[in-house]
Amino acid sequence: MAADSTTTLLGVRPPLSLRQRLRDARLPWIPLAVLALILFCAIFANLIAPHDPRDNDVVNKLQPPFSDGSHVLGTDRLGKDMLSRLIFGARTMLQVTAPSIVVAILAGTVVGLVSGYSGRWVDSFLMRITDAVLGFPSILVALLIVTYLGTGVWNVMIAIAATQWARFARMIRGEVLSVRDRDFVILAQIYGVSSGMIVWRHLFPNVINTLMVLTSVSVGQVILLEASLSFLGLGLAPGDPAWGILVAEGREFLTQAWWIALFPGLIITIVVMAFNFFGDWLRDYLDPRLRRSG
Amino acid sequence: MTRYIARRLLEGIVTLIALSFVVFGSVHLTGDPARFLLPISNDHDEAVYEAQKKAYGLDKPFIVQYGNFLVKAVRLDFGNSFTARRPVRDILLERIPATVHLALAGMILAIGIGVPLGIISAVKRDTILDKVCKAFAIFGMAAPQFWVAIMLIILLAGYWGWLPAFGRGDMTGWFPEWSQIPDMIAHLILPAFVLALAVIAAIMRLARSAMLEVLDTDYVKFAQVKGLGDRMVIWKHAARNALIPVITFGGISLAGLLNGSVVVEVVFAWPGVGLMLLEGVLSNNFPQVEGAIMVSGAAYILTALVVDILYGYTDPRVRLN
Repeated sequence: MAADSTTTLLGVRPPLSLRQRLRDARLPWIPLAVLALILFCAIFANLIAPHDPRDNDVVNKLQPPFSDGSHVLGTDRLGKDMLSRLIFGARTMLQVTAPSIVVAILAGTVVGLVSGYSGRWVDSFLMRITDAVLGFPSILVALLIVTYLGTGVWNVMIAIAATQWARFARMIRGEVLSVRDRDFVILAQIYGVSSGMIVWRHLFPNVINTLMVLTSVSVGQVILLEASLSFLGLGLAPGDPAWGILVAEGREFLTQAWWIALFPGLIITIVVMAFNFFGDWLRDYLDPRLRRSG
Repeated sequence: MTRYIARRLLEGIVTLIALSFVVFGSVHLTGDPARFLLPISNDHDEAVYEAQKKAYGLDKPFIVQYGNFLVKAVRLDFGNSFTARRPVRDILLERIPATVHLALAGMILAIGIGVPLGIISAVKRDTILDKVCKAFAIFGMAAPQFWVAIMLIILLAGYWGWLPAFGRGDMTGWFPEWSQIPDMIAHLILPAFVLALAVIAAIMRLARSAMLEVLDTDYVKFAQVKGLGDRMVIWKHAARNALIPVITFGGISLAGLLNGSVVVEVVFAWPGVGLMLLEGVLSNNFPQVEGAIMVSGAAYILTALVVDILYGYTDPRVRLN
C-alpha cells in the first residue's frame, strides 16, 4: 500500500497547513460570499450607494427598475432611490440585530452556566423562567414589550434580546450538565478552585462550540423577527431605510409598483438562507455527531 | 399516567399565572393607567385623576388589584377598549373564531402538503422532484411571511385575480351557512398557506427523513421481496409507521400557528385576535392588548398541554421523564 504523502515513517501526520485545512473543511463559499457582500454594504453604505437613501426626487417618483440609468432598482412614491435604500438597509439590519443578539448570547450564557453548575433550586428557578420565555412565540413577547415601552429601535432591540436569550440558556445548561461531572471538573473542585474559576476556565471553553453553532443558526431567526417588527411599524420610523419598512411601504403600492416590496423581501430571504446554510455547515463541521442524514 | 397529567397540568397553570402576572405587572411598571386615561386638557386636574383612580379600583394595593384582574380575566372581562369604547370581551368573542379557523386551515394545509411531499421526496430520493421539494423547504424556512403574503397577493389576487386579497368575506362567528362555504374557503387559502409555509417546510423535512429511515428497515424490504406493489409498500407499510412522529409535530405546530398569525392577520386584514393585538399595541390600548395576549397565551398553553398529554399516551417514554 502506497504511503500517503503526508504520512511520515512513524505514521504521525504533521499538522495540516491552513490552506489544507480550509480545503478539507469544504467551506460553503456561496453563503459566505453573500454574507461578505452584505457586510461590505453595511460598512461602506455611504460610499457605494448611488444616492442618499432619504433624498426625495419627486420628478422621478415610482420609476420601475432598469428604466433609466440613475435609479437601477427604481424609485418609491417620493422618488427615493430603491438601491440606495436597500444598501443602507443592510447597515440598519446590522445595527439592530448585532447588539441585540450579543446581549442575548451574554445573558443566555451566564444564565446557562450558573444554572447548570449550581443545580438545585437555582437551576429549577432559572429554568422555570427560561421555559416560560421559550414557551411563548417570540413575536407575542416582543409585542408585549413594545406595548409597554413604546415603539422605537431601542425597544425592538430589547424585545429581541428578551426573547432570544432563553434558547441560549437552555442549550448551554444542557452542555454544562454533560461536562459538570467529568473528572477534570471534579479534580479542580478537589483542588479547591473557586466556583467562578471552574465555570470560567473549565466549563465555558467546553460550551463554545455549541454557542457558535446556536448563534449562527439563530441569526436567521433574529433577522426575520426584526424584519417582522419593522414591517408591523414597531421599530424605526417610516421612511428610514430598513428592509421590513420597505416591504410595508411597498404594500401600499401593490398594483402600481411591485418592485418596492419585491426587492427588500428577496434580500431578507437570501440573507436568512445564507445564515441557515452557514449554520448547518458549522454544525456539521464542529460536531459531526449532529450531522443529519440525507 | 395520572401523575404525568397532574404534573403537566400544574406546570400549565403555573405558566398561566406567570403570564398574567407579567401582563398585569407591566402596566404598573411602565406608567399609571389612571393618568393615561385622562384627557390631555385635564392632565393636571387632580380631582378628576383621583375620581378616575377610584372608578377603576386603581387606589387599592397592588396585590388586591392583581387578584381582581385574575378573577375578571377568567370571565374574559378586561374592561372597555379605549378606542372602540366597548367591552374587550365582545371584541374577543368576535375575533377568536377567525383566528381559530385560520390556524386549523393552516394545520390542514401543513399536513396535507407537507406529508405527501415529504414521502414523495424520500421515495424519489435524489431525483429532480426531491431537489425541487428541498429547495421549497429551504425557501419556506427563510422567506419572511409578510413578504410571501404580499407577493402572493400581487400575483394571485391582483394580477390573475383568482383569490380574494383580504378579509373573511361576509363570514362572522364560528359556523358558516352552507352558501358561505365556497367563499370562506377562497378567503382562507392565501392566509392559511402563508401562515403554514414554515411548518409545511418543517413537516416535509421531518416526513422525508422518517420515511428514509423506515424504507431502510427489514420489514419494508421483506414486503417488497414478497412481491407487494410499490404503492402498497409505501403507503401501507412504510408511511404508516413513519408518520407517527410527523403527525405529532403537526399537532404541536397548531399551538404555534394559533399565535404566529399576528403578521399574517395584519397583511390579509384578517379580523382575528392577532390583528386586534396589533391595533391595541399601536394605539396604546392597554385593555385590548391585555385581553388579546391573555387569550393567545392561554390558548397556546392549553394546546401545548393537550398535545403533551396525547404524546404521553402514544409514547410511554415521555411519561417517565
